[in-house]
Amino acid sequence: MLEKILPDNFYKILSEKVNMKAVNEIRLRADKPVIVNVCGKMFYLCENGVTSNVRQSLYASKIIIEDVIFRASECSIYSVNEQIKKGFIVTDEAVRIGISGNIVEENGRIKTMTNFVGCNIRVPHQVKNCCLSAYPYIVSQSQVENTLVISPPACGKTTFLRDFVFQLSERNLPFNVLLLDERGELDCGINSKYTDKIAFSSKKVGFENGIRALAPDIIVTDELGQEEDMQAILYAASCGIKLLASTHADSMETFMKKPLFQEIIKQKVFKRYVLLSKRNGPGTLEGVYNENFARILREGV
Amino acid sequence: MKYLIILILFCISVGVGYFFSLKYLKRKRFWGALINLADKLSLEINFSRERLKVLFSSFDGNTKKYLLGIDEGFVDFLDKKCELTQENIFKNASVLKPEEKDFVLLFLKTLGRSDVENQTREIQNYCIRFGEIKAQCDTEQKKYGSLSVKLGVVVGLFIAIIMI
Repeated sequence: MLEKILPDNFYKILSEKVNMKAVNEIRLRADKPVIVNVCGKMFYLCENGVTSNVRQSLYASKIIIEDVIFRASECSIYSVNEQIKKGFIVTDEAVRIGISGNIVEENGRIKTMTNFVGCNIRVPHQVKNCCLSAYPYIVSQSQVENTLVISPPACGKTTFLRDFVFQLSERNLPFNVLLLDERGELDCGINSKYTDKIAFSSKKVGFENGIRALAPDIIVTDELGQEEDMQAILYAASCGIKLLASTHADSMETFMKKPLFQEIIKQKVFKRYVLLSKRNGPGTLEGVYNENFARILREGV
Repeated sequence: MKYLIILILFCISVGVGYFFSLKYLKRKRFWGALINLADKLSLEINFSRERLKVLFSSFDGNTKKYLLGIDEGFVDFLDKKCELTQENIFKNASVLKPEEKDFVLLFLKTLGRSDVENQTREIQNYCIRFGEIKAQCDTEQKKYGSLSVKLGVVVGLFIAIIMI
């Protein structure tokens, strides 16, 4: 997919001189060096691959960035305008491209974004077995505990969720799993036999429609962050559906202070909390906690 | 033998006349097909918001063959196989005038660049202009197309009379 998005010279260097499996992000900013995140570390893209010497780096231009965004929309900006309004595009192969530019508002509502000056291409990876350390704490005796994966951005939450769904299928646990894929990046080639998917809907609509129409045993969703997400979670929990979700926080202490989650914490909706970081690279498991925030698995030390 | 040669020369003459008239027919059919394509794009972008490649690839009506390959050239551009230039898009469109090629290229360049509302409005504006050009082509075809066939017949008859 990157071949169709990136300028030919950038893609050629990346594919021939950089280990693409280790690339997490490519950041393009107008008239600034191209930055490549390899295994959680920042490098500049240069003719010979990546370097830490800024003088050798290749630069992106506004035209390049506009072309990347145009190509990412498969040359059809109108088809992804709803995503652009939210500041990103997700391609069919789950490559998420965050966009910076000017927001055009009309009558208090975002109409579109223009004047693109930067983009952040997040390269998805399917890291098989990355959830295995935490898996026994989430699934016991063929029962799945409500689990919330917590980490700062780009630390492997989505990859963890993907692998978890894959592991359920691998073990032939006959749970009907509903992937509520708000941004279309959760389902990146998950080969699961028991998975349904609702994409590009808000959590509120997705939870209501999904529960009513698909009768899932487990709902997997990414990045809780709004009040209506909390309502949707409480609704699903009250329906007896198991939940696997993720949210942003850099530590358990920070998470516990988030006002948005107070009701959920109080009701002990989630029985397990998985904390990830990128201390030893994205996806470093810092620990698994129970509903009382007692650490039941300590890792990554 | 003489009459056979006369017949052959007459047919050749009419054939040449018809060949020249084909240009006008092709031009007329091209603009008609382009209007159909633009209508479909406008409708589908508004309704299904399907991507351009899908819309172009699914345009398989009877009129597709009259597009002189510009749809295929554009799909190649969408696939990043070539640039959006006159040379790549109008390989088989020699019947179009240079300014017409510029205009069609401009139309193709605007596709996929804006939101649904603006995109459909833009396409509809182009459709109006395409309609005007098609009307010109209709007139040209009636005027010069049939004229060249008639001229072919007249020249053929003239040759026949001289030879007889």
